[in-house]
Amino acid sequence: MLRRFHTAVLEKNETYGKAFDTEPMECGWASEATWFLRVAELDAGTTFRVQAQVSPDGLGWCDKEGVALAVPGIGLHQLEVRHFGGWLRLRCDVRGDAPRVKLTVYLALKE
Amino acid sequence: MDDVSPAPAAAGDVRLAKFDPLSRVLFFDDFDEGINGWCELVGNHDNNLDNIRPLVRDLRPAQLSTCTFFDIGTHGSFDGVYSLKLATRPRVNHMNQLIKRVSYVRRGLVRLETWFTYKAETVFDPSPTSPKQWDGNYHPVEAMFGDFCFSNDVNDGPDGKRHHCALRYVNTDFEGNFVRKWMYKTSLQVTTKMQLAGMPTPTDYHTVQPDDWGEVPGGAFSLCHNEVPTKINWNYLSWTFDTDARRNVELRVNDRTMDLRDLPVPVYDHEYYGCDRLLNFCIDVRTHLPVRNFLFLDSVLVSVDW
Repeated sequence: MLRRFHTAVLEKNETYGKAFDTEPMECGWASEATWFLRVAELDAGTTFRVQAQVSPDGLGWCDKEGVALAVPGIGLHQLEVRHFGGWLRLRCDVRGDAPRVKLTVYLALKE
Repeated sequence: MDDVSPAPAAAGDVRLAKFDPLSRVLFFDDFDEGINGWCELVGNHDNNLDNIRPLVRDLRPAQLSTCTFFDIGTHGSFDGVYSLKLATRPRVNHMNQLIKRVSYVRRGLVRLETWFTYKAETVFDPSPTSPKQWDGNYHPVEAMFGDFCFSNDVNDGPDGKRHHCALRYVNTDFEGNFVRKWMYKTSLQVTTKMQLAGMPTPTDYHTVQPDDWGEVPGGAFSLCHNEVPTKINWNYLSWTFDTDARRNVELRVNDRTMDLRDLPVPVYDHEYYGCDRLLNFCIDVRTHLPVRNFLFLDSVLVSVDW
């Protein structure tokens, strides 16, 4: 059997003006995960930082230490993680005077 | 030795023994082996994702679940470890719909069977709860689950007709009152083509108006919710439809059998290009509250009489 692989689209060209979390993804079958962030628009003065979070049950969350990215601007960016238990989400911190980001978020999972 | 003989299916493959298929198995999806083609439905678009209708823009990806909960850890599936999980956002009227797309070889009977279970997510915030409180047996989370639906999409090609059958189990209404009835839809699903031609945006994916649903005769009954948000019991469902008659035939849920042959099925009065012999299977779950709703499928078997 070839290794299972699955890409989920967590956010589809959505626009956010404040911090948000991606929906919980149950992915205990996967041994590695990569988020791809396709940032279409990032308003001037907006600081956008993402932090991987893990959970034992999909309800309570904590940061996955060392798996974070200060998103530098428009374009495609990636963040990868291993050893994450059964659940993943991305904490997305959007800051500034009138912050705004428009993006698509993919989660690529591999057995 | 007792005098009980093994069922023929069990002798061949124990995984199939819990199903009652028609003469030919079209596909058998054991979600221990992966998602098996049950992908997220998305509305039609012109490559610009901003132009997807809002109702069908965010129908969420499939997940493989171990049914892991905060109190007991992993529950597991009916057969094995993983089940296919549908999950809404915690947003009123949000729906997760997954679709499996095939084409038909002949028109005739099609039977979808599955073992499924459903739950609303555990919420520690007491604000969305119903007036009835936990009493050691009843748990308010039961009233936080909205509805789930099994449907199809059948198109006979440019010279033929298109129709959708849809059977929805409505657990509660949008006011949080228990309904606990199977319903069938009585109007068309508003397509992207219809909306571009001027139809208003519906609030219900399946119908023109949200009340365009009729009660399935014999379909008023409770399912085994089992008290708390972290105890799941697997239910049997068998849905037979006839792509030749463009009708539902029968719905079986555990020990209940509902004859659907007299229920009308709306048929489009216009044609759809590029969908010859289309045969799609759709499953969705919808929340009525700002609480995530989940539908889990242990496995799906689809058989035909072709």
